Amino acid sequence: MSLEQTAKPSSKSKSSKSGFGLSQHMNELSLFVAIIVLYVVFTSSANGFLSFNNQINILRDAATIGIAAWAATLIIIAGEIDVSVGPMVAFISVVLAFFLQWGAPTPLAFALAIVVGALLGSIAGALRAYCDVPSFVATLGLWSALRGTALFVTDALPVSIGRNDMLDALDRSLFGVPPAAIIMLVLFAAFAFISRKTAFGRSVFAIGGNAHAAFLSGISVSKIRVALFAIAGAMAAISGILLVSRLGSGNATAATGLEFDVIAAVVVGGTSLSGGRGSMLGTLLGVLVITLIGNGLVLLGINPFFQQVVRGLIIVIAVLANIQAIKRSMSRNKG
Amino acid sequence: MTQATNLQPASSPIVASVIGCTRRYPGVLALDNATFQVAAGEVRALLGKNGAGKSTLIRMLTGAEIPDSGSVSINGAELSHAGSGRAQESFEKGVRVVYQELSLVPGMTLAENLFLGRWPRKGGVIQYAEMEAAAAEAMGRLGLDLPPNRLVAGLSPAERQLLEIARVLVGKPTIVILDEPTSSLAAAEAEKVMAAVTRIASEGIAVIYVSHRMNEIRQIAHSATVMRDGRIIDTVDVKGADTREIVRLMLGSEASQAAALENTGSDKVVLEVRDLALAPKLNSVSFALRKGEVLGIAGLLGSGRTELLQSIAGVRRFDAGQLLVDGATVKPGRYKEMLRRGFGYTPESRKEEGIVPLLGVDENTLSTNFSGVSKTGVLSSRMMAEATRRVIDRLHIKAARTDTPIGTLSGGNQQKVVIGRWVYANSRILLLDEPTRGVDVEAKAQIYAIIRQLAAEGRSVIFVSSEIEELPLVCDRVLVLRDGTLQDEFISPNIDQDAVMAACISGH
Repeated sequence: MSLEQTAKPSSKSKSSKSGFGLSQHMNELSLFVAIIVLYVVFTSSANGFLSFNNQINILRDAATIGIAAWAATLIIIAGEIDVSVGPMVAFISVVLAFFLQWGAPTPLAFALAIVVGALLGSIAGALRAYCDVPSFVATLGLWSALRGTALFVTDALPVSIGRNDMLDALDRSLFGVPPAAIIMLVLFAAFAFISRKTAFGRSVFAIGGNAHAAFLSGISVSKIRVALFAIAGAMAAISGILLVSRLGSGNATAATGLEFDVIAAVVVGGTSLSGGRGSMLGTLLGVLVITLIGNGLVLLGINPFFQQVVRGLIIVIAVLANIQAIKRSMSRNKG
Repeated sequence: MTQATNLQPASSPIVASVIGCTRRYPGVLALDNATFQVAAGEVRALLGKNGAGKSTLIRMLTGAEIPDSGSVSINGAELSHAGSGRAQESFEKGVRVVYQELSLVPGMTLAENLFLGRWPRKGGVIQYAEMEAAAAEAMGRLGLDLPPNRLVAGLSPAERQLLEIARVLVGKPTIVILDEPTSSLAAAEAEKVMAAVTRIASEGIAVIYVSHRMNEIRQIAHSATVMRDGRIIDTVDVKGADTREIVRLMLGSEASQAAALENTGSDKVVLEVRDLALAPKLNSVSFALRKGEVLGIAGLLGSGRTELLQSIAGVRRFDAGQLLVDGATVKPGRYKEMLRRGFGYTPESRKEEGIVPLLGVDENTLSTNFSGVSKTGVLSSRMMAEATRRVIDRLHIKAARTDTPIGTLSGGNQQKVVIGRWVYANSRILLLDEPTRGVDVEAKAQIYAIIRQLAAEGRSVIFVSSEIEELPLVCDRVLVLRDGTLQDEFISPNIDQDAVMAACISGH
C-alpha cells in the first residue's frame, strides 16, 4: 500500500511488473541497507557490539519498543496517534504488582492487567470515535493522568512483588533468547497477519485512506477506532508485564519517553503520519534501527545527553532519506 | 423587490471583451471562436449546461487560461502575459470572481476575512480600527449591516456569500463574476444576494452572473448569453425571452432520440417517501419507487437533490416525514440499517467520499462485505480476486489487475467501482448521486447500460442528475425537484428534455 504504487500506471509489460514489486518494497529495502550500515559502523567502532550478550540485549530492548509499536502502526495507519504508551506501561506494571501483592493468582493477575490496559485504551478510543476529541489530545490526557496516578499511589517507589516463579520464568532465556523477544516476534506475526489478511486490518487501511468513503461503504468506523486503542492498551499491558518480570517490581517511573521511541520507529518504518499507508515489516525494521542506535551510542560511551541529540538527528535523517527515495521511485515510475 | 428596470445605457463603455477565442483540450473543443463583451454597470447572465464552456470563458477573463487563438481585453487593454503572470495581470485590471466554494476562515472576524492576507499594517501591527471602518463601508455597499468584529462562524449562508462578494469589492473591481452564487441558498436568502448584485451594478461595475434560476435572472439581469458546445449561441433580452426559447438555445435542436426503454418496473413499491422535509432545503417531498424501476431526479445545483438522497440513505437526518421500506417505517439517520435493508448509496463527490485512493480495486469493491470473501474470518486472496474479477467483468472496469490502486484509474472506471461495490453487496435499492459527473462519454454510456441491466434484474434505482439529456436514456420516470419541492413528473418515453429543463429552471 505504498505511495509509489499510486504513481504506477496500470500497465502490463513484464519488466514493469517486476519493477512494481521492487518499488513497492523500496522503503523496506532502504531500511535494510540502513541497518547493515549501522551494524558495520558500530562493529568497527564500538567494543563488544557484536558479542552474543549485546545482541541479546538489543533483542530485549527491541521487544520493549516493538510490542507497543505493532499496535501503534495500526493506529497511525488509521490516521490517529497514541502518545500514552510510556505511562500506560508504567501504570500497568504498578497495577500488576498490586494485584500480586493482594494475592491474586499470577495468570489471573496477568489477564486482569491486560483487561485494564484495554479498558484504559478504549477510553481514549471512545473519546476519539464518539466525542470527536482528537486522539492526540485524548491520549495526552491519558499520558498525564496515568503517570500521575502511578506516581501518586506509589510515591514513586518500586512496588515489590516478592518471589514469583512465573514472572522469573518470563525473564529467563530460552536457548539464549529472552522470552520478551519471542513474544515480540509472535505478536509481530499476528499483527502482520491481521493487517493484511483480515477485514479488520483492511478496514484500518480504508479508514486511514478515506474515513468518509469507508463509512459509506458500510465499515464500522467508530467501533474500529475504539478497538484500535483498546488493542494498543493491551499491548502496553503486555510490555508492562514484561517490565515487572525484568525488574521484579512495579515501577511508576519506568518507560519514560517510550512513546517517542515507538512513534519514531513507526515513522522511520515508512508509515505515513497522515494515515492510509504503512506496513508492519517497515515498523519491524524501524524498531531495529531505533534500538541499534540507542545500543550503539551507549557502547561508544557517548555522553548520555549528547546521545539524545544524535538520536534525534538520525531519526529525522532516516525519514528524510526515506521520503526522498519514495519520491525518486515515483518520478521514475511516472517517466 | 429588486427590479432592474434600467437597462444600461447604450453608451456604457465595454469593460471586458473576449474576441474570437478558441481553446482546445485533448479531445474537447472547450471554446469555439467565442466572442463575448460586457459593458460597465451591466448585469449579464451566463447560461449553459455542464460542459458548455462557461468555466472556460470565465478562465479566459481571469487569465487562468490562455486562448489558442483570439484575444481578451479588460478595460480596452489586451492581456499580454503568456504565462502564470496573466492571472495577476487580469487581477490588477480589476477582474474578480466569487466561486461556489466559499473561502472564508470561520474563526476570524468579518473584517479580518475581508482583508485576508492584506490587512492594513503599520510596522507589522494590524490597524484594526482602520480595517474595521473600511470593512463596514464595504459591507454597507451590499446592505450587509453587521458588526465587522463578529466572527464569520456565526453567519448564515447568505451572509457568508455576501461577505465573499464584499471581499472582491474591496479592491475596486471593474468586473465581478459570480458563479452560481445562490445555489446553496434558500429562496428568501437568495433575494439578499440579488439585491447586492443590483447595487454593485449601479456603481458601474460589470457583473457576469452564472446561474440557471430563471426567476433570478429575470429579476436582475439585463440580458442573458447562452452557451453550448463551447460556442456563444445567442445573447437575448431576458425580459422578452420565453423560458422554452432559452432552454432550446441551451440544449440545441438535436432530436432527443429517446429510444423507448424496456419497461422493467413492476407494481411492487419498495420505497415510499411521504412528506419528507429537511429545513431549509426540502419541504414535503413525496414519491414512491417501484421494484425494477429507474427513477430520475432532475434538479439544479442547490435544488435539494443531494439532501433528498442523503435523507433517504440515512446519512442525513430529516426533520419530518416518513420513509417506508417494503411498507415498514424506518427511522431517519440510520445508514447502517438502510444498508442491511438492501440499500446502496454512491455519493456525489467521488474523490472525497467515494474511494480510498491508495487501496486496490478489490478492497474498494469488497469493503461493503468483507465476510463474503473470508474463510473463518481470514480474507482469502483467491476469493477476493475472483469476486473482484466478476465485478470488473460485469461493469467493464478497465483495470490491469484486481489490486490496482483505484486512484490510478480514470474517473469513469472509479465510478464503476463505486457502483460495483453495491452490485457485489447485492443491494436491491441503489441511490446514485450524479454517477456520471466527470466521466467520459464512453463510460457514461456504459454506466447507463449497467443501470438498465440492474433494473432488469429487479433492482430499483434512484438516479440523480443535473444533466438533463441523460435522463431520457436511463429513466423510466423523472421527477423534477426545484426549491425543495417536487414540481413535475415525466414518464418514459415522454421525457422531453426541453420540458424537464424548463421545469428545473423556472417556476410556472
